[in-house]
Amino acid sequence: MPTLTAFIKSLFIATVIGLVGAGLFIYSGVYPIGADVPHNKLSYWLLETLRERSVARAASDIQIPNDLNTSDRLLAGGADYNDMCAGCHLKPGKTASDFTIGLYPTPPNLTATSDDHGHEHGGDSDDGDSNDVAVQRQFWIIKHGIKASGMPAWGPTHSDERIWNMVAFLQRLPSLSPDQYQILTARGNTSDSHDH
Amino acid sequence: MKRKLLSPILILAALGVAFSAQAHDPKEHMKDAENPNCAAMKDMDHSKMDMNDPVMQAMMKQCMKDMHNDDGDHSMGHEDASEDDHKKDSDEQHSEHQH
Repeated sequence: MPTLTAFIKSLFIATVIGLVGAGLFIYSGVYPIGADVPHNKLSYWLLETLRERSVARAASDIQIPNDLNTSDRLLAGGADYNDMCAGCHLKPGKTASDFTIGLYPTPPNLTATSDDHGHEHGGDSDDGDSNDVAVQRQFWIIKHGIKASGMPAWGPTHSDERIWNMVAFLQRLPSLSPDQYQILTARGNTSDSHDH
Repeated sequence: MKRKLLSPILILAALGVAFSAQAHDPKEHMKDAENPNCAAMKDMDHSKMDMNDPVMQAMMKQCMKDMHNDDGDHSMGHEDASEDDHKKDSDEQHSEHQH
């Protein structure tokens, strides 16, 4: 049994050394925290995996409304998207903004299909299950935001219904032309005919 | 003493809730809101337009409103609806956009 005791001792010592080393590293301030210096691959993987697993777990029970694909939702969600999201997540015909260039991690371009920006976001998928997962994910992220990413939580100031309207708009956004986008998102000249 | 403090705290808390509930009202955006550029619909390929598509329906709603508000003529066709676009001076009449 001495080998097991020695192993546990060694493990304990290694853990303590690791924790002390991590603490010293954090307090030393040598890690570049500026948004203009990318994370190293390990940090990026850790943070991305943490984010994706957390969102997937938290969003899995969200119930998706049956009437997501309606013109009223597109109009209501489009106007909000244009006011609240387009600066970072772009609009048809734009490929960059000050925010997409300056923020790190770079906000996903939601006018692109999922193939173009690396993960599912709903409307452009034929697979019902993955589409639902993407829709749940979008709703959760809009409502709760993501820590230290620049993505705010809109839930405290916006009803679930308004957030679902934005999710509905996101499903169609990659297929919109600049002209269609302008018409759908313009708030001017609107009446209360698409109230919710 | 504790009861004297309780009332202002409760009032402040109630005001805080009331103000946060009004946050990001769509009306905040009305003062610099764009009008839909319905003239662009003329240049779109009408043979590819599906009237059952919610995007198409939404565009028609936007431009129907534009037509009604600009001309006050409810009998006008859709093609005619886009003629008087970009009348920004009508913004103030249409500040209702509740969700």
